[in-house]
Amino acid sequence: MTRDCEEIKSLLGAWLDGELGASEAAEVRLHLQGCASCLGEKARLEKLQSSLKSVLEAKASQLAFEPFWAGVRQRIAEERPWHARLIDWARAVLSPPRLAWAIPAVIIILLAGLSLEQFFPGWRWALNRSNLAAVESIDGHGFNVALLRESKTKTTVIWLFENHEGEEETSAEPVSGGPAF
Amino acid sequence: MEISEWDLIQKCQKGDVTAYEELAAKYYRRVFMVVLGMLHHQEDAMEVAQETFYRAFKNINRFKGGSSFYTWLYRIAVNLAIDFQRRQKRGVMDFKENMDEVIVETERLGSDPYREVRDRELGERLLAAIDQLTPDHKAVIVMRAVEGLSYKEIGRTLGCSEGTVMSRLHYARKKLQEKLGSYL
Amino acid sequence: MKAKRKLPRSLFRAALLFSLWLALLPAPLGAAEKGQPGVQVKIGTILATNQADCSDSQLSKMKQQLEVIKYRCYHLVKEESQKASWLANAVFEIPGGRSLVVMPQEYRNNRISLKVRLLEGEKPIVDTTVRVPNRGNFLLGGPAHEGGVLILSISAATQ
Repeated sequence: MTRDCEEIKSLLGAWLDGELGASEAAEVRLHLQGCASCLGEKARLEKLQSSLKSVLEAKASQLAFEPFWAGVRQRIAEERPWHARLIDWARAVLSPPRLAWAIPAVIIILLAGLSLEQFFPGWRWALNRSNLAAVESIDGHGFNVALLRESKTKTTVIWLFENHEGEEETSAEPVSGGPAF
Repeated sequence: MEISEWDLIQKCQKGDVTAYEELAAKYYRRVFMVVLGMLHHQEDAMEVAQETFYRAFKNINRFKGGSSFYTWLYRIAVNLAIDFQRRQKRGVMDFKENMDEVIVETERLGSDPYREVRDRELGERLLAAIDQLTPDHKAVIVMRAVEGLSYKEIGRTLGCSEGTVMSRLHYARKKLQEKLGSYL
Repeated sequence: MKAKRKLPRSLFRAALLFSLWLALLPAPLGAAEKGQPGVQVKIGTILATNQADCSDSQLSKMKQQLEVIKYRCYHLVKEESQKASWLANAVFEIPGGRSLVVMPQEYRNNRISLKVRLLEGEKPIVDTTVRVPNRGNFLLGGPAHEGGVLILSISAATQ
C-alpha cells in the first residue's frame, strides 16, 4: 500500500532527522523520487532547519566572550542572598510533578495523624504533659473561687470558699473557710 | 570526554574559577545559541546563558561525567530558558520591529545583496515565528536545529517520550511553515 | 533551576486527581470527630478531712492529684457514671442535698467542653465551663460536709 503525499509530508521531518525506521525511510525515499510537491516540502523543511541554525550562529558569533564571562564571574563572586536561594530551592522542589505527589503525601500524613486518635485515643494528651483541663469561665454565685493548675500531676482544681467579709457569725466548719492549698 | 576537559572539570570541582573560564570560553556561544533560539530577545538570552554558567559552576560537584559536560550544560540552559519564559510571558515581538532591524543591518551587506537581505529577513522572521510557539515547542525545534540532537536525547532533556518529541517537532515545523509562507 | 519533568502527563493528571480525591477525604473524618455519640461522665465524690491519716484504696489512682490539696484524709463517698448526650444535662446527686448538673457542649482538639453547675437545693453555688482532656478530669472542691469538705472529681470520656 502506497502512502499519499499528505502522509509522506507528515513523515518528512522525522525522515530528515534520521528517526524513521528502515522500511518507512525507504518508502519516503522512493516517493520523493517521483513527487515534485513532496520534494518542495523537503526543501522547505531543510531551509527552515538551516536558516534557524545560521541565524543563531550569526548572532552568537557577535557575542564577545569578555562581557559574557564578566557577567558569569560577577554572579559567582556575589553570593546570592538567602531569599533568592530559597526561591530557587522552592522552584526546584515545588515543580508541578513533585507538587502532585507532595499534596497527597501531606494529606496522607494529616490523615494518619487524625487516624491515630481513632486507634490510640488520647495519644496527643499523653504526648503533651501540660495538657490540663482549662477553665473557661467560673461564676461563684457569692462564693470566693480559687483556681489551681499543676502540670506535674495534671491537676486542675476549682476551690470554693465562703466569703466571710462582713459576716459576724463564725463558721461552724473552719475547714470550709479558706483555700486548702 | 576529552581528558583535558575532565581535568578542567575536576579543577572546577575544587573551586578553580580560572579552569571554569576555559570551559565557559569553549561552550558559551553554543549555549547562547540554544537560549537565544528559545527566547528571541538578546538581553534575555544573555541573562539566561550567564545564569546557566553560574548554576553549572555552583552545582559542578553534582556532575559525575555520566554524559558530556556540554550535554549537562545545555540541559541546564534549556530548562532555565523554559522556566524563564513561563515566568516572563513576554508579549510576542511583532514583525515591524524585526524589519527595522533588518533595514539597519543592510549597511553591512556582502556580494549578493538581494539574497542576503532575504536570508536575513527569513532569519529574523523565523526567530519571531518561533517566539510565538509554546516553550516546549521552541525547545524541540531549537535543540534539533542547533544541536542536531536525536529524539531520544531531546526527550531525556525535556522529560518526555520520543513520540512526544516527534509530534511536537511536526507541529512546530508546520506552524513555522505557515507563518513564514513564501519566505521558505 | 527548574527541576526536570520526569512524569508522563497522564501520570501527572492521575496524581492530581488522586490529590483531589484525598483532599475531599478528611471531611467525613473531621465530622466523625465532632460526631462522637456521647460522653461518659463520671463523678467521684470524695470527703476530705483533717482527721488522723487514713487511706482509701479506691483513691489510689488519684493519690498524686489529691496531694495537691492539703488534707490528711480522703475517703471516696460515692462514685457515679452516666452517659450524657451532647448539649443535654446529666444530673448527679451529691451528698448534702446538692446536685451537680453536667452538660457536654463540644468536642474539639481532643478536649471535651463541659458546662458544670453545682446546686444546693435550688440555689446555685457555682457555674463553670471547663475544657477537659478526653479521658481526663478536674476537681471541684470546697462545699462543707460532715466536718470536712467535699471534693468532686469530674471526668469525661467520649464514646
